[in-house]
Amino acid sequence: MKLIRVTKGNFLFHLGKREKILLSQVLRLYPRIPPASFRLSKSGKLPDAEANQRLLEESLTEQREQNRKALQAFLTDTRRFTDTESGSRLSLSPSELEWLLQILNDVRVGSWIILGSPEQAMEFKLLNEKTAADFWAMEMSGQFQMRFLEALEKREA
Amino acid sequence: MAETATPEAIPGRIQTTEEKPKSGLEPGYLVVCWNDPVNYMDYVTHVFQVVFAWARKKAEFHMLQVHEQGKSILKRESMEKAEHYVHQLQRYSLHATMERDE
Repeated sequence: MKLIRVTKGNFLFHLGKREKILLSQVLRLYPRIPPASFRLSKSGKLPDAEANQRLLEESLTEQREQNRKALQAFLTDTRRFTDTESGSRLSLSPSELEWLLQILNDVRVGSWIILGSPEQAMEFKLLNEKTAADFWAMEMSGQFQMRFLEALEKREA
Repeated sequence: MAETATPEAIPGRIQTTEEKPKSGLEPGYLVVCWNDPVNYMDYVTHVFQVVFAWARKKAEFHMLQVHEQGKSILKRESMEKAEHYVHQLQRYSLHATMERDE
């Protein structure tokens, strides 16, 4: 996937045929972070800690449900991708790109949590037939994230 | 949600700032971001820029603090504002919490 140009703040990307399929596959994994992973405080020394924790969980659950619906619409919108000879073109507004970064990072962090939150040096020791799909999701979502972040940097420069 | 401070006047005694009970409206809560091996450095920098409207240099400074020291205190705020920022950071799946500034 590479950035073709930024016009009036909108990003136009080119994706190879396989990249388009991979992006869809990764996005379909959302949401991946287990809800119990969201903690408002480490120390727990907050007034009304339980109520505030519940508020955070409710807020994130609601937001993830909205994201899930929006993602479904995004993935089924046939006008979203324009096919070319070598693949597809994907046009994203800045807010859509920002939103996709959140989605991709949820898939990345969620996959990492499912893998047991390994330290970087330990990652490959955990790679086996059972964990391969989660490693794939973690790495693939990260690759797309990096391409989007590079695009944002190019716009700034 | 937040505690409400009830001022108590004690005759003959001057109440100092330290003695005041912390309420949800006082900037007594820290927004902390913790290190993890999964979030990319560029991503963390970007999120700090978006959530706090920081310049890249400042966002990078805090990202490096997270990376090298294990955590960075991003803001000292009232309870409501700190809560708001933690919600925002967690929407981006960063490991962020709020802690009482003791």
